[in-house]
Amino acid sequence: MILLIILLIPMLTGLFLLFFRKAPIVRSIALGSSIVNLLITFILIFTSSPSTYALNWINFMGISFTLGLDEISLIMVLLTNLLFPFVLLAGFTREQRNVHLLNFLILFTQSALLGVFMAQNAFLFYVFWELALIPVYFILLIWGGDGRRTITFKFFIYTLTGSLFLLFGIIYLYQLTPGSHTTDFTAFNQLQIPESTQIWLFWILFIAFAIKMPVFPFHTWQPPTYKMASTQGVMILAGVMTKMGIYGVLRFLLPVVPMGVHFWQNTVIILSLIGVIYASVIAFKKANFKMMIAFSSMAHISLMVAAMFALNHYAVQGLLFQVLSHGVTIVALFYVACLVKEKTGTTEMPQLGGLKAKAPNFAILFLIILLGSIALPLTAGFVGEFLMIAGLFQQSVWFAVFGGMTMILGAIYMLYAYQRVMLGHQKTNFEHVGDLLSLDYLILIPLIAIILGLGIYPQPIFDLLKPVTEIFSGLAP
Amino acid sequence: MSALICNIVLGIIILYLGFLKRKSILAPAAIAGLLIVMFLSFKDWGLGSRYFHDMILFDNFSIAFNISMIIISILIFLFGIDYYQMMSHHVAEQYALMIFALTGAFLMTSFSNLIMLFMGIEILSIPLYVLAGGKKASFRSNEASFKYFMLGSFATAIFLFGIALVYGASATFYLPEIKTFIAQFNGQLPPMVMVGLLFILIGVAFKVAVAPFHFWSPDVYEGSPTLVTAFMATVVKTAGFAAFYRLLGMGLLPLPIPLEKALWVMTGLTLLIGNLGALKQTNFKRLLAYSAIAHSGFIMLAMLSQHDSSAKVILYYTFVYSLATVPLFIIFILVKRASNGQEELFNFRGLFKEKPWIAIFMTILLVSLAGIPPTSGFMAKYQVFVLSISQGNLLISIFAILMAVIGIYYYFFVVREIYTESEQLNPIVLTKLNAALIIGCSTAVVLLGIFVWNLPV
Repeated sequence: MILLIILLIPMLTGLFLLFFRKAPIVRSIALGSSIVNLLITFILIFTSSPSTYALNWINFMGISFTLGLDEISLIMVLLTNLLFPFVLLAGFTREQRNVHLLNFLILFTQSALLGVFMAQNAFLFYVFWELALIPVYFILLIWGGDGRRTITFKFFIYTLTGSLFLLFGIIYLYQLTPGSHTTDFTAFNQLQIPESTQIWLFWILFIAFAIKMPVFPFHTWQPPTYKMASTQGVMILAGVMTKMGIYGVLRFLLPVVPMGVHFWQNTVIILSLIGVIYASVIAFKKANFKMMIAFSSMAHISLMVAAMFALNHYAVQGLLFQVLSHGVTIVALFYVACLVKEKTGTTEMPQLGGLKAKAPNFAILFLIILLGSIALPLTAGFVGEFLMIAGLFQQSVWFAVFGGMTMILGAIYMLYAYQRVMLGHQKTNFEHVGDLLSLDYLILIPLIAIILGLGIYPQPIFDLLKPVTEIFSGLAP
Repeated sequence: MSALICNIVLGIIILYLGFLKRKSILAPAAIAGLLIVMFLSFKDWGLGSRYFHDMILFDNFSIAFNISMIIISILIFLFGIDYYQMMSHHVAEQYALMIFALTGAFLMTSFSNLIMLFMGIEILSIPLYVLAGGKKASFRSNEASFKYFMLGSFATAIFLFGIALVYGASATFYLPEIKTFIAQFNGQLPPMVMVGLLFILIGVAFKVAVAPFHFWSPDVYEGSPTLVTAFMATVVKTAGFAAFYRLLGMGLLPLPIPLEKALWVMTGLTLLIGNLGALKQTNFKRLLAYSAIAHSGFIMLAMLSQHDSSAKVILYYTFVYSLATVPLFIIFILVKRASNGQEELFNFRGLFKEKPWIAIFMTILLVSLAGIPPTSGFMAKYQVFVLSISQGNLLISIFAILMAVIGIYYYFFVVREIYTESEQLNPIVLTKLNAALIIGCSTAVVLLGIFVWNLPV
């Protein structure tokens, strides 16, 4: 029951918001609901009672409305509920059109994402999967930046293509289930699919997740979308929606087609590592600050995918930890980008420089976030990436070497960007730039606290993850 | 049977009501009459009554399809109250012709004899030829009517020729007897029967606008008065597919291999041409025409994946498709009026700013047609894919999925136009009835997608 409450709070609040017109009221209600949801999530974690919720839905097609929460889901739900208050907070005091509609769409996305992470039925999973896309599409289309018409279109069609293949896979698995067919994950997991089938079925299922994450070479939608998106849109996209792909692989791909996964394991790892290097190099060359962050996010996600397919418990532990830390870090980075844009009117780095003199506090906070992103020890990024590289090392030394490039190259392009944005000479016409406002502190300080807190004392998360890693340590051949 | 008779009488009554010169009573009278027809249809449920020496069989299949068509017709007539507001002449004839066409549609769902199918198709088609030319002063409307008539009669001739050939070989029109006749050859049919069956299928395929017999449909849809287009895209299509399914299920299954191959090729072509054709359209009516062709492809897929539940899936698919299409035509008419008679896609620009609620409901309808959850359009496509994949038609299913992606592309092209700002905004005048129709249909489209039950067909 508590799961249903978590799922419904954002959606119902969102519908409720449609009746209000005053922006501050709408924003406060939305924020309040998301904080309540976060508190309920914490209660759920501390009581650690295994709870499920099941309801008959479309019986004759074997579809039931089943919600459940295991440790993987719990991390994802925690991440979602942790980030959405910040996403909503980022809208405060800013000029926006149709605030009630925007907040409705954001909360709707939250509900759909929670649904994806809690669904125990493949059909339900798919419905939420698509449902999450629609509000984001409109957030990008209506509140996005330049060129939004074509870019959102590409993003939308690209992701939906993957989803439809996933649908094909779900139906194919559905008609394999014995007796009166069902789409429950438990039934899917028990299927004994011949290896020759698993080999092609792997790609049918994986393509949807690969596009969402995105894995090289399915990434072309991502950088322009991130660049064009509004701050809140990109926070949702980069912070949570990329994790849908990772969750999908863990929940769907590994248990259902294990032989297919073993067959393609090295291919995917190599693709991901190509993605790491490729994205890092391009991040270094990009002159646009937001584009640079987008590619850096892709590099980090690629490392996570590589680690995921290493299929050992170090890697999975690191991966799930990194899901949390990457989500927090990337949201903070994109908020920084938003601040830079607001203060100077541009995100093109050649036109920036010398912001530190005008906004010293901003420069310090940015530096801490940046260090978290390049995985300096004592930040959350370090714990996750270290474990993932250790996991990759068990698969092959070379994988670990190329995976480790994320950190090195990350340090290069991030520090270079910092130098170009914050340090050096002041360039044209931003004389009247001030330092951070109280709202900005309210967003950045807690995010930094999480980054440092998880880096210094990661044990609570590992305690949470213990059962998962035990499952996955049995998966490797 | 009482429903059928009542419907004919209703048509005649409406025709005579036209003498009263009071437009306002026509639509309410027609709707009241249709409600009675619907009630009479319900009464026949489960009886499986046969008439005219088994030429007509009102089983649950036909009653379910009839009721679905009556509901859609009522929606169209409600739309007609506003649509015919400006028109002073021949309004009664328009309603009466649509009711007569509906009578033909009833025959098409309930035949068990090829002659009855032929009668049904003709009774459906002849009023439509007239209706397509409803705007007498409009050049496009005349063209549509003429084109539809020429091609339609050509198809009818081929169809009749096919019936004659089959009769010549089997000496019967009665479908179950034809079935036993075909079965005795074990798939090695004599050429005469084969050609006859092929011609019959071509005749029906023409009516439902399945490629390569679809060429009439975009022109006719574009030229006809919008209300008639809505009628053709929904009721006529439903009737055509009911007839197609009944023809296959009652008489021709299992199909001889060459014919089955031909139908599969037609399915693939329909999906391809419908979706690719829609991509480059700038006229909204033509876009919906191609989208109708594309949806025909999906229904064909369900039909050819022979399974007990095919009939349910087709019924569900056609109904929710019609339910989403009718309000789209209503919104289209509102926008057309606001933009001085232009029918282009970019006329939808600024709709979100001008009437946000309509924009949102239109989005829901387009999302449903595109087949994205949680709408009923998605459930319909899902069921089609479940059918075709569980029957092992994997490659055509993947092909259909790729085509569905293209479908999403052009529907969201319209969505994008809705949310694009435009410089000049024309006020959109919306009657309460039309608003209620749009809201009601959109809500139904969503609810039918969430609450799906096993249809007792």
